[in-house]
Parts: sequence; C-alpha cells; structure tokens
Amino acid sequence: MHISEIKILNKLPRLKSSYVKAGILMSLLAYWGVILVGTFVTFN
Amino acid sequence: MEVFLPIAQVFVNPIEILLLSAIVGVLSGLFGVGGGFLMTPFLIFLGIPPAYAVANEANNILATSVSGSTTYYLKNILDYKMGFIIVIGGAIGTTVGIYTFSYFKGIGKIDTVISLAYMYILAIIGTLMLVESLREIDQAKRNVLAKKKAHVHYWIHGLPVRMRFPKSKLYESIFTPIFIGLVVGFIAAIMGIGGAFILVPAMIYIIKMPTKLVPGTSLFVTIFVSVIVTFLHSFNYGSIDLLLVLMLVIGSIIGVQVGQKLGERIDSSGLRALLAILLLIVGIAIAYDTFFANEILNNVQSNTNKDLNFFSEFIIDFSNEMPFFYGLFTIMFAIILGVAAAFIRKFVSNLKIKLLIRSK
Repeated sequence: MHISEIKILNKLPRLKSSYVKAGILMSLLAYWGVILVGTFVTFN
Repeated sequence: MEVFLPIAQVFVNPIEILLLSAIVGVLSGLFGVGGGFLMTPFLIFLGIPPAYAVANEANNILATSVSGSTTYYLKNILDYKMGFIIVIGGAIGTTVGIYTFSYFKGIGKIDTVISLAYMYILAIIGTLMLVESLREIDQAKRNVLAKKKAHVHYWIHGLPVRMRFPKSKLYESIFTPIFIGLVVGFIAAIMGIGGAFILVPAMIYIIKMPTKLVPGTSLFVTIFVSVIVTFLHSFNYGSIDLLLVLMLVIGSIIGVQVGQKLGERIDSSGLRALLAILLLIVGIAIAYDTFFANEILNNVQSNTNKDLNFFSEFIIDFSNEMPFFYGLFTIMFAIILGVAAAFIRKFVSNLKIKLLIRSK
C-alpha cells in the first residue's frame, strides 16, 4: 500500500487546521469571558 | 532622562514617547489604521492620566490628519459636501461626548470609563480583525474567491430628506452621514481617537461612497472632529500639554512615513492577524490595569508646581488664565506642525527625485 493512500495521513493537515481554529475560538471566548466577568465584578 | 509635563503633572521619558509614537505610526502607515486606539492606551501605561492621554492624542491626530490630507486635497479626491454633512453630525456627537465626559469626570469615574471603553473597542476590533484575517488566509489556502455581494439596500437607504452628492454620484438621505458623524464625534470626544475605523467601513458599506474618495473624506472629517475635541478639552479642562503633543507628532509623522514605505514593499495582509493579536493583548493589559491594578495607578503621585522652568510656568499660566485662546493656540500649533510635516515630506521627496536624476 502506498503511503499517500493512507486516509488518516491525508486528513492530518485538515485535523491540525481544525484544532488551530478551535484553539483560537476557545482563546477568544476565554478573552471575552475575562473582560465581561471583570466588568461585572468591577461594577458590583 | 525625564521631562516634566506641566499640564499632565507627570514625569515622562521623551525617548519612550518618541519611540512608541513612531512604532504606532509605522503600524498606522503599514495597515492604514489610525494610531489613536493604540497610542492612548500606551500613554496610559506610561503613567499619563487617561483624561490627559485622550485630549493630547486628539491633538496629535489633528496634526497627523492635516499632514496626511494635503495629498488628497491637492489631487482633489475628496467629497467636501459629504464631508461637511458628516461633520455636522460629528459636531453634535462631540458636544454630547464632552458632556458625557464632564458627567463621568464629575463623579470621579472618567478614568475607569475611558479604560473600559478602550478595552471593549480593542477587544471588538481585535476579534473582528483576527476572524477576518484568518478567513482570508484560509480562503487563500483553498484558492477560494470571496463572493462580493451585489448592491444591497438596507433600511437606512430609505430614510427621508435626500440630497444629491455629485462627487460621489449618490442620492442619499442626509440622516445617514449625520448619524455616522454623531457616533464618530461621540467616540472621539470620550476616547481621543480619529474614528477612521468606523468612518471608513461606514462610508464604503453604508453610504456606498466610491473607494477612491473615502480616505481623503475620512481625513477631512477627522480634522474637523479633532479640532472640536481638542478645543473643548482644552477649554473645559485645560488638559492639552504642548510638550507632549510635540513629542507625539514628531514620532508619529516619522513613523507613518516609514510605515507607508514598508507597506509598498511588503504584503501586509498576513501581518494583519498579528496586529489583531497585538490589539487583543493591549486590550487585556488595560483590563488587568482596570480590574486589578487600579490602586497602583491611583497612587501615582502628581508633582507640585514648585521648581518649574519658565516654559512650563508659561504653559500652565496660559492654560489657566486664557483657556479660550489656549484652546485656539493648541489647534493652530497642531495645524502648523501638520503643514510643516507635509512640506518637509514634499521637500525630501523632491530632493530624492533630483538626486536620482543626477545619479543617472
């Protein structure tokens, strides 16, 4: 079997890109969480 | 080496201010964004009280806008009629903004309000810019062409009191540009920014102006809005420090030139994601200062008026005794610096051409 025919290897770059996107999304959510909670706490 | 700012009543390192304003100027020239929403937080980090940082940055924006608009003025690529209508809204927005500023200053919350406003603006712009640039990178990788929407009409285009704008070839309700000016003026008064990050997309996507007329018209509006902001801040609070403005203008004008030259040589679209991350980092740094380190900032001791040199005493007396004329003087000072920068730029560019011709 040729190495290029292994499906999981072909999926790797796309998987990596998905992880990066998920990471960025999580970071942005955490970022917004910090500033929203911080604002809420400051005004209380 | 530290210099005492007589109006802001703090000691600053002039090299730090010059370097920072030059760096922000480079980013501004490279990415085509105004430097106000980066420079004001940097001034706050350097220990300048937020209310003073806002006012002085507005004066710096006036000088850089005057310097930058000369090209568009000479080439006549700006819509004066549209610009004036936006300025009407801008004047109303600025006045409302200054009243809001006075209210929060009165209850002693202005520094917190400015910090929070910056934190949210930086977070919003940073998030939008990051998502947009990542989408662009993704599309470039997949070789997908972004579909452009055809001419879309929103409810805003059905508003009454329509007027013809021959230069932009538009037949538009005057309420749309007035409303945009109102928002820009309000934000400029509270945050000391030019508002190009709202004006430019609004002119392109909401008013539907031709893209070539947008930068000149945006600068034209910014000049008037920052004149009103500078004057009102100077007249009401005496918060313009000429020494600080001078350092900011020198740094940013040099930086913008370098940034524009760099922008001609490199493709900045990939770097946009980095700028977005920088904005988010500055936003979170302000959040840290606002939520956790407020006590540290509040403990920064102001200097008393003892041992001031002649220049500092003159500025304080001028600002306190003749606030109206001091306001006018700060505007003239910024305009003269802007025009001088434009002339120097023209002179240097002519000199370069002459040297190139001679070398051939």
